[in-house]
Amino acid sequence: MDTTTQAPSQDVDQENPTSSGSPKYWLSLEQWRQDPEFKKLAEKEFLSSPLQSEEGQGGWARREFLKLMGASLALTSFGCVRRPAQKIVPYVRAPEEIVPGIANYYASSWSDGSSGYGIVVTTREGRPIKIEGNPQHPINEGGMSARATAHILSLYDPDRLTGPRRHLFNEERTNFESVSVDWSAMDKEVAEQLKAGGVAVLSGSLLSASTQAVVDDFCQAFSARHFCWEPLSLESLRLGAQDSYGRASLPDYRLDRARLIVSVGADLLGSDPQSVRWSRQWAKGRAPGPDMSKLVVFESLMTLTGMNADERYRIRSSQYLDIVMGLLHQLIVVQERSRFAGNAQVVRALQDYSGVARQMGLDMDKWAALANELWENRGRSLVVASAYEGPQARSLQVAVNFLNSVLDNDGRTVDYRGASDRAQRSSASDLKELIEGLNSGQIKTVIIHRSNPVYALPSSSGMTEALRKAELVIYTGDRVEETGRLAHFLAPDHHVLENWGDGEFMAGVYSIQQPTIRPLYNTRAFEESLMAWSKEAGQGPQRLRQAESWYDYLRNYWRSQIYSPNLAQLGGQSFEDFWLQLLQTGLFDASGATQMGRDLTPRAFNLSALQGLRRNSSSEEVKGFELVLHPTVGLGDGSLANVSWLQEFPDPVTKICWDNSVSVSIKDAQEQKLRQGQVVKLTIDGQSLEAPVHIQPGQADGVLGLAVGYGRRHVGKVADNVGVNAYALLGYSEGRCNYMPSSVELEKLAKKIDLAIPQGHHSMEGRQIVVEATLAQYQERPDANIYRHKIFSLWDKHKYPRHKWGMVVDLNTCTGCSACIIACQSENNVPVVGKRFVMQGRIMQWIRLDRYYVGEPEEATAVFMPMLCQHCDNAPCETVCPVLATVQSDEGTNDMIYNRCVGTRYCANNCPYKVRRFNWFNYVKDNFPAPLNQALNPEVAVRSRGVMEKCTFCIHRIKGAQQQARTEQRSLKDGDVKTACQQACPTKAITFGDLNDESSQVAQLFNQPRSYAVLEEFNVKPAVHYQTKIRNTDQLKGDSSKKEGHHS
Amino acid sequence: MIKRTPLVLGKKTYQDVTNDICGLVEKVPGPKYFASLISVKALFVFYLVVMGVIVAKGMGLMGVNSPIGWGTDIITFVFWIGIGHAGTLISAVLFLFRQKWRTSIARTAEAMTVFAVMTAGLFPILHTGRPWLAFWLLPYPNQRGPLWVNFRSPLVWDVFAVSTYATVSLVFWYIGMIPDLATIRDRAKNKWRKRIYGALSLGWRGTGRNWNHYEMVYMLLAALSTPLVLSVHSIVSFDFAVSIIPGWHTTIFPPYFVAGAIFSGFAMVVTLMVIVRALVPEFKNYVTIGHMEAMNKIIMATGLMVGYAYGSEKFIAWYSGAPYEQYVFMNRAIGPYAWSYWLMVVCNVVIPQLFWLKSVRTSIPLMFVISIFVNIGMWFERYVIVVTSLHRDFLPSSWGMFYMTFWDFGALIGSFGMFLFLFLLYIRTLPAISISEVKPVLNVGHEGGDKHG
Repeated sequence: MDTTTQAPSQDVDQENPTSSGSPKYWLSLEQWRQDPEFKKLAEKEFLSSPLQSEEGQGGWARREFLKLMGASLALTSFGCVRRPAQKIVPYVRAPEEIVPGIANYYASSWSDGSSGYGIVVTTREGRPIKIEGNPQHPINEGGMSARATAHILSLYDPDRLTGPRRHLFNEERTNFESVSVDWSAMDKEVAEQLKAGGVAVLSGSLLSASTQAVVDDFCQAFSARHFCWEPLSLESLRLGAQDSYGRASLPDYRLDRARLIVSVGADLLGSDPQSVRWSRQWAKGRAPGPDMSKLVVFESLMTLTGMNADERYRIRSSQYLDIVMGLLHQLIVVQERSRFAGNAQVVRALQDYSGVARQMGLDMDKWAALANELWENRGRSLVVASAYEGPQARSLQVAVNFLNSVLDNDGRTVDYRGASDRAQRSSASDLKELIEGLNSGQIKTVIIHRSNPVYALPSSSGMTEALRKAELVIYTGDRVEETGRLAHFLAPDHHVLENWGDGEFMAGVYSIQQPTIRPLYNTRAFEESLMAWSKEAGQGPQRLRQAESWYDYLRNYWRSQIYSPNLAQLGGQSFEDFWLQLLQTGLFDASGATQMGRDLTPRAFNLSALQGLRRNSSSEEVKGFELVLHPTVGLGDGSLANVSWLQEFPDPVTKICWDNSVSVSIKDAQEQKLRQGQVVKLTIDGQSLEAPVHIQPGQADGVLGLAVGYGRRHVGKVADNVGVNAYALLGYSEGRCNYMPSSVELEKLAKKIDLAIPQGHHSMEGRQIVVEATLAQYQERPDANIYRHKIFSLWDKHKYPRHKWGMVVDLNTCTGCSACIIACQSENNVPVVGKRFVMQGRIMQWIRLDRYYVGEPEEATAVFMPMLCQHCDNAPCETVCPVLATVQSDEGTNDMIYNRCVGTRYCANNCPYKVRRFNWFNYVKDNFPAPLNQALNPEVAVRSRGVMEKCTFCIHRIKGAQQQARTEQRSLKDGDVKTACQQACPTKAITFGDLNDESSQVAQLFNQPRSYAVLEEFNVKPAVHYQTKIRNTDQLKGDSSKKEGHHS
Repeated sequence: MIKRTPLVLGKKTYQDVTNDICGLVEKVPGPKYFASLISVKALFVFYLVVMGVIVAKGMGLMGVNSPIGWGTDIITFVFWIGIGHAGTLISAVLFLFRQKWRTSIARTAEAMTVFAVMTAGLFPILHTGRPWLAFWLLPYPNQRGPLWVNFRSPLVWDVFAVSTYATVSLVFWYIGMIPDLATIRDRAKNKWRKRIYGALSLGWRGTGRNWNHYEMVYMLLAALSTPLVLSVHSIVSFDFAVSIIPGWHTTIFPPYFVAGAIFSGFAMVVTLMVIVRALVPEFKNYVTIGHMEAMNKIIMATGLMVGYAYGSEKFIAWYSGAPYEQYVFMNRAIGPYAWSYWLMVVCNVVIPQLFWLKSVRTSIPLMFVISIFVNIGMWFERYVIVVTSLHRDFLPSSWGMFYMTFWDFGALIGSFGMFLFLFLLYIRTLPAISISEVKPVLNVGHEGGDKHG
């Protein structure tokens, strides 16, 4: 036996030296013997391979073929039946505060340049999905701007940096490859360089006191300088106050206290950084009645403020100063009013301006009447003017200050203590010194935070070259961006929603910013970076170096700087309690600013400041065009350009999305033979730029407008190369930009760029859509100008036994700001479609903010109407759907059943309001690549391709509130359900609730004489009523014009 | 005594008729036929690809948008459904009215109906967002409640109307063919031909009983089909008329659509017959100038009806005082789609007036050109109805424009590939003229009829 077992194994070893011997377990004698024939078979793995004939000669054997066919058939059909299983795993140890399926809300804050918002962040299962306004915060009272809401998407932007990086520069720093780097390695290198001195920190306005403290400590550590600069600076407000009153403070307007507001080029309700606040205040004064305020606007471009004005005059931007000084002249010299009448110094300063109104071609009666009205409303009027940098900016603010002082508005409607002193810190001299310092080599290291000068400065500033001279540039932006490309190190800051912070958006009102998600990437707070470098270098004040973390520093700062000084007000509360309460409410108000209505002592106006306001006669001869570079409501300064929602946000004024354009007045377009979309070349001082033309009704002749914020080059997939960078046309001298350059040459090019305008037509064609009435008409008859049709029906009304949800939109306070569009988009997972498909009429937004021009095209004004699903009782969409995919609920909502919809689109055709949106493609897939899908609201189904969708009245919120009420064993109260659009509306123009509940706010408004239904004659009985727009003026602009309105 | 023009030319005997008609099926066609077949097949394949891509990628490929939710697909659907009407009218209505001239064109006209309805039927499915779920438009017992369709929706009525129409037309067409199929079977020398046509002829033996039953059924089916001529396009018109969109919401639509359908259907029969006469010269003896002239007369008559409808619409829009409706009809005539409106008017109302002249009515090239114009005009009629009404309705803010894309054109042109492919197959595989109906109208035995009075 032994020999027989031994012998074969030796054979095997000879054959195959690597073999470890015969197997211990064997199946057959052949295997035991390691028979070569057997080994061959064994190598084949399967005794009969499907791909080999039984004879082993290529070609498929019949049986194998049949087997394969059978298997593949079975597999194919199997594959069609089931989707692959995807396993999910629940929390192993669930965080205590997170209940799956229940949203958590965190009070926080967000600042956008120099404006801040108190926000509430909705999180689901630990991820933020929506930003809403904090109703308790006095700065926005729950209102939001489009940008503030859309900001959530930048958290999940796939183009964000995922960690620190280092650029591999060549000598000239003209290449842009980068590699990732460790924080610690970077810290070492940076600390070494910092020790060498010549350090500068460049940032935008820091609204956060504690961040400012970190920066100050850091500057102390390295004898660094902090420069503050941001685009669209309103520094002239400070400088004007400095000249006028001797103290560089920012004015805080009180539009709600003003009965007459005169705006000279200031777009308070539109693109102004604080537009949400101003809109809210303005709306408070707009209740139709004897106390209704009046808004008079002088402006060059068409803005939201102008469109909402009761009286609007179009003048060139170079005439702004003339208007204010002319008003002063009319008041003081002509009408001999105020304590300054007869004051030789004042009269001398004003003498140049006699007759400016006549020169401008204004109606002299109206002019005198306006001056009269201002005087009659002294103390309750307000004059504001454009504060963007320009040749007259500072003088204009001085003039406005003087006018407000003359009218006793100072201290009453101009609160000079209410504004945060941290806002609008951007300084031209800082910028100038920074560039000089870099060029001279005094500044060796620059840390750039929340500022993108390479993008937002014209090349004549020399910023790019100056930065190339620095020995070390550190950029803390969340992506590479234009400036970051010149940085040695990219030290990405956390996203606001990932980071601790705070802000002082109003004087004495401190807001906290809490992180609502753990940082998604290997990023580090800017403050943390400064602390790390300070620690690494072993330099700096104790509190900077000893703080364990930024959070630690922040808490310490609050304890010592905010909690302790206000201990009396807090009634001896412990810091921990104070902190907890702060996190819950989101703010600590140490100012009492929430109780508005204080009067301050008027400041003494420094009359010598008027000396500088002599009229520059050369401004008379204007060569070429004046250009106004302005921000838009959607993009602002352009920092959030990569947020697709904001790119597809129809501009409230022009309704254009995905592009900026040169706006031209109708007359100029006719003279220059320009067509909509035609490309023109603008040239100023050798700088030129090509952009398509948009013919803008109501724009002043001789003025061109162009929005900044577009034309980004290195911001991400969404916004790169969308539009043109208008900052390139800024005038620049000594750190000061000029947003209103004159002598612009316009050259017509033989090119056309189609502009994407989702709104099809811009005139109401005389139809009863938006109803307007003057205040006098309204006071005579509250339902003035509403034509009510006689309606009868053959059918019984629908019965709504429990609730009947309804909405009222007050067109009188709707400014058209379009914040509701983005709030709805964020709440309801509404996709974007891109420029091409917007042009094809495929925009998906559930709210369409219709803007109709009224009056003669050249002098047109506009009215707005948010048009959403009207949830008709007799809904035309419901009867025609063949598969019952859209049906009426017994609570009055028109519900869309996505998974029943086959997509015949009959409902959309039959909708008289055209508010239904169809999923032409699988948008969700393209719109939300990871991690953007994290921003989706799980409460709202995402829609697959081929189904119809539309406004649901936020049905998920209704159901949520009902569930909540049921849990609490009570019935729903008015105000339990708020729609997303309603929440975001800065002016509270939208009211939603139960029409069956007679005490509800909405039920009361619904049947007011001023309320009406659009297209009521079709008896569709919409659940949305609109309220007449009341203009505080003598005469409405004429009927809708038929001439203008087509877009090509 | 006026001599009647014989309905069949060439002094055919019964034997000749059988040989001529069966010969088409029995003989191998010539290269001209194959060339035509291959080219329309290529178009058909292109159509399938276009449809496949649209189904795979989404409706977004086509030009439809908001507010123009319906586009080429619905326009072309209505167009093809309309085309089908002439077949039913010729075979059923003219049968009931004992119009003998119908016999030689009835079969082909009916085949055209069947193929046109088949072609049309794909469009509503293709145009839905989720075509794979289009069967949800059918009421069938299900586990969702059960959840039924919305019987108030004209689209559901449409499903019934079109499917009924398709079924009845198919049955009518097939029943009519049975004696002829049996003739082919009887003549067949080839085993397979014998089997296939044998199966298709359902055991027809030509007995008295057979004929008795056949004629009874044929009569009943004709009576059943006749209301369909009116109902189908009336119901198709309800898709529009029942809505509230100005330009759609019109009571004149049902008769207007039926007249238009017959109009376009006859134009299509003329077009096809001219082609068939050219491709298959034997047909010239059966489909004579007399037939063509009769059809041209109907085209002219229905064209006038359509013209009346156009005028009436305008009048009612003015008379109603409804501002939205007035705007839509004004916009049609002078708005951005005025070109399509005037194209429609010229093609449908002006050009058919040439048929007042006998020389035009009897000229094959002229009638071919005019029939093509009518086909184009009728497609544009639906284009005008669908697009111009939707593109500017109530709220000017939602107004828009409709631009056809490559895929729209692909679906439109490709559908002709499907239709013509089926039609050419039919010409050579089924008896294209009803042998059993033509024989009774022959003058056999009456050649000297004038002598006998």
